[in-house]
Amino acid sequence: MQEAELHDLSDDPDYVASQQQGSGGSENQKCTRKSNGPTEPNGSEVVYSKDNVAIHPTQYASERISGRLQLIKRDLSLFMTWIPYKQSASYGVGQGSRVKLPEKDRNLYTIRAVPLTDVRSIRRHTPTLGWQYIIMVLTSGLAFPPLYFYNGGVREFLATLKQHVFLVRSADDANVFLVNDLQDPLQRSLSSLELPRAVPVANVASSSSSLASVHSDDNSNQRSNADYHDSSFSPTESVGRHRQKVRDPARDLSIQVLEKFSLVTKFARETTSHLLRESQIFDNIGGYEKQQQVHSSPVKNQVGGDPVSQELQDKNQIISDPLEKIACRNGKLCEAAATLVGTFELIDSKEAEQQSLVWGKPRLPPLGHEEWATFLDEEGRIVDSKALRKRIFYGGVEHGLRKEVWKFLLGYNEFHSTYAEREFLETMKRSEYETIKHQWQSISPAQARRFAKFKERKSLIEKDVVRTDRSIPFYDGDENPNVGLLRDILLTFSFYNFDLGYCQGMSDLLSPILFVMEDESEAFWCFVSLMERLGPNFNRDQNGMHSQLLALSKLVEFLDSPLHCYLRQADCLNFFFCFRWILIQFKREFVYEKTMRLWEVLWTHYLSEHFHLYMCVAILKKHRKKIIEERMDFDTLLKFINELSCHITLEATLKDAEALCIIAGENKAACIPPGTPPSLPVEGGLLE
Amino acid sequence: MSARRRMLLKVIILGDSGVGKTSLMNQYVNRKFSNQYKATIGADFLTKEIQFEDRLFTLQIWDTAGQERFQSLGVAFYRGADCCVLVYDVNVMKSFDNLNNWREEFLIQASPSDPENFPFVVLGNKVDVDGGNSRVVSEKKARAWCASKGNIPYFETSAKEGFNVEAAFECIAKNALKNEPDEEIYLPDTIDVAGGRQQRSSGCEC
Repeated sequence: MQEAELHDLSDDPDYVASQQQGSGGSENQKCTRKSNGPTEPNGSEVVYSKDNVAIHPTQYASERISGRLQLIKRDLSLFMTWIPYKQSASYGVGQGSRVKLPEKDRNLYTIRAVPLTDVRSIRRHTPTLGWQYIIMVLTSGLAFPPLYFYNGGVREFLATLKQHVFLVRSADDANVFLVNDLQDPLQRSLSSLELPRAVPVANVASSSSSLASVHSDDNSNQRSNADYHDSSFSPTESVGRHRQKVRDPARDLSIQVLEKFSLVTKFARETTSHLLRESQIFDNIGGYEKQQQVHSSPVKNQVGGDPVSQELQDKNQIISDPLEKIACRNGKLCEAAATLVGTFELIDSKEAEQQSLVWGKPRLPPLGHEEWATFLDEEGRIVDSKALRKRIFYGGVEHGLRKEVWKFLLGYNEFHSTYAEREFLETMKRSEYETIKHQWQSISPAQARRFAKFKERKSLIEKDVVRTDRSIPFYDGDENPNVGLLRDILLTFSFYNFDLGYCQGMSDLLSPILFVMEDESEAFWCFVSLMERLGPNFNRDQNGMHSQLLALSKLVEFLDSPLHCYLRQADCLNFFFCFRWILIQFKREFVYEKTMRLWEVLWTHYLSEHFHLYMCVAILKKHRKKIIEERMDFDTLLKFINELSCHITLEATLKDAEALCIIAGENKAACIPPGTPPSLPVEGGLLE
Repeated sequence: MSARRRMLLKVIILGDSGVGKTSLMNQYVNRKFSNQYKATIGADFLTKEIQFEDRLFTLQIWDTAGQERFQSLGVAFYRGADCCVLVYDVNVMKSFDNLNNWREEFLIQASPSDPENFPFVVLGNKVDVDGGNSRVVSEKKARAWCASKGNIPYFETSAKEGFNVEAAFECIAKNALKNEPDEEIYLPDTIDVAGGRQQRSSGCEC
């Protein structure tokens, strides 16, 4: 074992652990049989082996995991493994307040025999200070977290790789090496995010070369891998256990967990998102869903606000032996590809429903009165509006507080306004409301007879308010005065904004606002604020809706290309099946309380103004497998989506959407053009 | 001919907001009426299996938002329609006046191959309201309009009481079927084309 050459690793417990362990700790490396010998009993050959290659799951030095990186050759194919050292028992004691990662968690990072045909690119980082590291991005779009070479050797690693697989430097970035860059026109047409000016090369894996011309990149690699496992090779015991299966799901799982962490680590996130731009689509959500489907242990010890420990808990839930199946149809290209990727999907189960599906931050309890008070200064100003919006984004607001908080979220009250200013505003607005209301109230029946537009509008509103949320106690029963208030507010609004007028869906949007405000004028002005953002949804030309549906399509293309591919093939790219979701902000998809929770989260505009679009992607992605496997056409898909109403788990979907939003990163700008509702004009108030 | 392949008949219900499109559909498919239907946002459909002359069909009935502002969506929902049902409220003149707009809008957006002969059926709904005393569109007037548009079959219905709904949809199904033979030709092993065509003459003007 080599000593650290350049960096003092004596304070690194993993390093020390690895030193104690020595290089021949085969007993401790249960996952691998190939400990020392260059030639494995089953005929594979270790062509590269490097000790003290580490992963840093968190920023804590105590949680770094060291292991051994190896390249193993079997027949014509090259595999990469990274096996963490078993943790020394003497460590984890006296490490201060932080505890080391449990063994189980450490093993989650294990990379078990990834064929290099699955690797898309490798980015090399050689910082002048600190360790060299690489980030590998797979053809599936998943990425491993950075692998730190404590003892150097990145160059050697790449050189070895180059001897066995086709490696070419990216034309755009000298530190990015493309692996097995296929150039198949068919495959290219499947990916909208192709690498620019990539060098053509044959697929290194003989088993997949015949498929490469038919299937997509992703597909062919998966297939080659599947084929491989169908045959005899089994690089590790744990893989061997799955050899009778079509392919190795455990490997996929570990990849996905790794990828999760690569995103948690900010640094890696930047890198991977950069690579994403030139590589393929991330697909971790579906992958994580699958993990949820297979694990059954609930979260053991609830941890409050510490995201790191929560993430560790999340990891705890993952096991690595899911049932796996690939239903590879002989259908069209897209379909086959999508089906393969679709194996990372959630099989509906109650349990999985209740748990978060991705590594989105833990949801918090709703904001309560005491905590709310901490956001206000003596005169009632909200000192840190961003912190408040963040808090609400992750937990919502207690119902009793909504009346006060929603006014800020909607932009009716300014965050920096004082109690006195708000009181003054309320008085002014109350009288202004009465003025506008009086405009239509003063229309006599005789005048109304000559005012078809008014009559029509009034009758439309009256027809709708009597069928808006009448099952909610606040609106139920005959002659309910609140129904009358809905009518008055909507009619007044149609005079406040005569051009926009009234459109179906508005009553759905107003209903919870009036329920929360319990005051006609306040509800009206909050509704006005909401319509500042959502008004374009109801424009006559429907441009607001079309631009959102288009943005949604682009987001799906970026965040779930197999689904997008399928929808294109099924001629469903207009996304009209999501029309209701977007038009009224999921009002019909959740029960009343959940709708209010969702809305306050959306209105924070914390991660994105268009978080509702990520909600759409999250839900679609969750059901992608079903949509594709059942080959839903437009009609069936619309029906399916409509019938999801009240069967969507809000909290889990919020977490999924959060994850997707983060993954989209800077690319969201390309997907969602400026001015897409509910974006405000530039001088908008909520944004920073 | 046996029901070797079940045929899908696609029917679109159009008409002003609140004339009872959702109620008619639910009354026909589920034999239920509710005062609690919400305004339809976007579109939805229900299906019903029907048998006609020894053949089984799936009637797919599309319910769409009634506000004209959403008409531009129609292009997605109307395509492939076999019959279009135009509904108005006999108590609301405007909803009757708008029938022509709905008909024309449909023809533009669905762009059927033979617009002249595309089957429509008109329903005058809510005849139960106020014992018929609040009625403002007479049956005579409605029938005259239907006659002027190429003898469109006409029914007076009450979705609430289930009056005439079954008969109306039977006619709708038959008319949808009339529109089908064109597509049937494309089925490779359908030989009973002539038989299918004969059904065309069996009108259902009631």
